Amino acid sequence: MNEPMEWEDWLRGRRARRETGLRVAPEVIRRPESSKDHRLRKLFNGERGLPFKKTEEL
Amino acid sequence: MNANEINKTLVNIDAETDPTLKHLMLASLVTAVFQDQNIELVVVGGSAIEFYTEGAYVSGDVDLCVASTPTPLTGRIRQELMGRLNATGGPRSWQVAGLFVDVLGGFENLATTPIRRLKGPSGEVQLSPVEELIVERVLISTYPRDYPPARDCAKKLLAVALQGEVETDWNEVRRLACSSAYDNWNDVQQLTDEQAQSLEIRSPYDSDE
Repeated sequence: MNEPMEWEDWLRGRRARRETGLRVAPEVIRRPESSKDHRLRKLFNGERGLPFKKTEEL
Repeated sequence: MNANEINKTLVNIDAETDPTLKHLMLASLVTAVFQDQNIELVVVGGSAIEFYTEGAYVSGDVDLCVASTPTPLTGRIRQELMGRLNATGGPRSWQVAGLFVDVLGGFENLATTPIRRLKGPSGEVQLSPVEELIVERVLISTYPRDYPPARDCAKKLLAVALQGEVETDWNEVRRLACSSAYDNWNDVQQLTDEQAQSLEIRSPYDSDE
């Protein structure tokens, strides 16, 4: 807990963490709206952010 | 970091299309630039949760708070530091390398567990303690009214914590949830137990019953 996570370890764990989350909630859970919508949708062509990578691509 | 290193890093961040990686690379760079002035930043909210969970939750902005600063973080200092990143906007929100960065006020943290650290590509990124994020997200999911996006987020955060993919102090989660600051222990315990059941593992609160 006191030691920093290594970058390589974090990268390697991405898919496992995504798959764990998939067991309890839908794949993409980005909020549908927020107070920052105007600026976000303007920057991301009507979306609130970039599309997520698919689990199998992680 | 010198200007040449910063510019090279910004080019890489701008080209990155994976939102989670892009957020982390940018958080690492902003943290490094502020660290040069002995200003400590902490990633909070959705970006911190994304780094812990890979939960496909984050939108297009990175939120950071100020954990410590040797002198008041004035508008002039904020603009000067963010100016090194070719940022536009301010005084608390900027556009940088295809994302928004918000450097908010002081870091509000009641957890006694440490701020977690992740070695990012430009330097360490500090993350809000997972224990308080869990309790906070459960609170948002139920008060002032049910909010399903926050509930899904809390479920994913609990799941990675229960699986041991994020080291979590469950006694601290309970302490925070029982405190007057959150007062949502029943909700936290119930959601934790439900996720443990979904994952077919023992809940850390099983012995409480």
